Amino acid sequence: MAGIPRGEAMEEAGGAQAIRVEDLTVAYGEKPVLWDVDLEVPQGVLMAVVGPNGAGKTTLIKAIMGLVEPVAGSVEVFGKPYREQRRLVGYVPQRNSVDWDFPTTVLDVVMMGRYGALGWLRRPGRTERHLALEALEQVGLTEFAGRQISQLSGGQQQRVFLARALVQDARIYLMDEPFQGVDATTERAIVSLLKGMRAAGKTVVVVHHDLQTVPEYFDWVTLLNVRRIASGPVDTEFTDRNLRLAYGGRVSYLTHHTHGETDPGAGG
Amino acid sequence: MDLLDLPVRIFSDYTLRSVALGAAVLGVANGALGSFAVLRRQSLLGDAISHAALPGIALAFLLTGSKASLVLLLGAAAAGWIGTLLVLGIVRNSRIKQDSALGLILSVFFGFGLVLLTYIQRIPTASQAGLDKFLFGQAATLLKRDVQTIAVLGGVALVLLMVFWKEFKLLSFDPEFGATLGFPARSLDILLTTLLVVAIVIGLQTVGVVLMSAMVVAPAAAARQWTDRLGVMVLLSALFGALAGVAGALVSGAAARLPTGPTIVLCLTGIVAVSLFLAPNRGLVWGWVRERGSRRELRVDAVLADLRILAMQHEGEERAHPIEVLRTMAVGHGGVDNSLRVLEERGLARQTESGDWTITARGMEEARRQSGTREEAE
Repeated sequence: MAGIPRGEAMEEAGGAQAIRVEDLTVAYGEKPVLWDVDLEVPQGVLMAVVGPNGAGKTTLIKAIMGLVEPVAGSVEVFGKPYREQRRLVGYVPQRNSVDWDFPTTVLDVVMMGRYGALGWLRRPGRTERHLALEALEQVGLTEFAGRQISQLSGGQQQRVFLARALVQDARIYLMDEPFQGVDATTERAIVSLLKGMRAAGKTVVVVHHDLQTVPEYFDWVTLLNVRRIASGPVDTEFTDRNLRLAYGGRVSYLTHHTHGETDPGAGG
Repeated sequence: MDLLDLPVRIFSDYTLRSVALGAAVLGVANGALGSFAVLRRQSLLGDAISHAALPGIALAFLLTGSKASLVLLLGAAAAGWIGTLLVLGIVRNSRIKQDSALGLILSVFFGFGLVLLTYIQRIPTASQAGLDKFLFGQAATLLKRDVQTIAVLGGVALVLLMVFWKEFKLLSFDPEFGATLGFPARSLDILLTTLLVVAIVIGLQTVGVVLMSAMVVAPAAAARQWTDRLGVMVLLSALFGALAGVAGALVSGAAARLPTGPTIVLCLTGIVAVSLFLAPNRGLVWGWVRERGSRRELRVDAVLADLRILAMQHEGEERAHPIEVLRTMAVGHGGVDNSLRVLEERGLARQTESGDWTITARGMEEARRQSGTREEAE
């Protein structure tokens, strides 16, 4: 699928979007976290999900995977309910969602990405080991395979989670803040990994915090603040107006940003 | 009654052997399943389950009039289970947090159980019920068929733990990721908790409801100190549990009818203490040794840096300096004498015949290198 322009890839899949979310509403107790969200993610895009704290970004990707029960709405993956397509969707949770002092090794964690394909009761073997080592090489952690996971830096832990997702060999990846608190090396590694995934025809949805890097890293964007503010190509949707709608005018980035290129002056 | 005879008597004395076997099985089961409880931060759940089991035992006796261990254990398991479900229900449907919910259920069920026990002992026909052994445990009361029940139930729990090993590991490390792979966290949680209930229930007659949670938590906590692998941790924990169980059961049986629970807990305390202090890497003693070592290294580096400063102040001439000067410079940290000795051994400093100290050429180089890396780090 590599190299096919996105429009054609979509048609090839019978026009089915990679992910289609309809009328999704999620509430924790009385408080709505997502309100009537419609969303279409075309195949082969690198999409950032941005929005202020509490905008429901994490909830959105958890709801797509059925990890939180929606009040209303439906989710389709390649035209079928998520439940039937589970194997096609890989997940990179927030790094701090697990206890990194758990007694296990880097290789072991990465092999967990194969558990879904293995199914119930079957144990990981040489094939899984081999795939996990390959993925570790891709994220540059080969020499850490035997390490206990608490001995890793934050950026390395993040890359372990990415490797675990890579061995899932999914077609769609949902990532929750993979850039959160990582070092520059890891950030570069993740970006090149993401672009490699897009080149291989994967669809990647990333919950993202750093507005400045959106035009540089992503080609598709969804702005979220409980409701969907905008969703589409970065070039047309990542605008001052939409950002102000999403953030309520509290974004210092607004005055500086330009499309599609890095702006060194955007730091203020 | 001689404790030294015990090892011999295990092999000759039939009763003793079956008591030891029962204690070993319940120790293995609780050690293994306790590992998962500890890693999932559910240590207190074991306490709640065991206390909640007491009214179940009493009610099972009142309803059936039977003291057969299987009947009583079924009652215990049912009550332990209901207690666990209530804890989950309270947490899910109210603002009460898990620790408070555990405390509530634990004390309410235990209190109710004590009331029932007192009532049972007042019934004239049941005066010999002897259910109070479930409070602090009495291994000597284990009959052959009790041990059989323990062995079968414990064995089943352990087999299931091994069968679902991969799933339980995933559940314990990252349940949400597991759910996205198609391993439902809720069902696995229920299964694993049920196995824990089984392990706890088979230990109640030997260890007692009051101290049973030690059997769940202590072996696992000790085992975690020694290893960074889940498999090794579970094996070690099972071994520690069995050791403490057997030792406690035998000692309590031999020595003037001591209750077994407290004896086992004393054995566990020994294992935990040794592990906490002496385990490599995680042990406190090694931590102290490492800290002392690095503190000494820092002092040595500081003295070397002082020597370099002195040498640079008197550039061109090789001058030795009395130790008092170095002591004055080393305000805030002692051990100047020792540090100089270490430097001398490494050939970085030299003592002159007059007893004064000077830096060597190699010392100069080393000190420059160190100050370089320090500045780089800043």
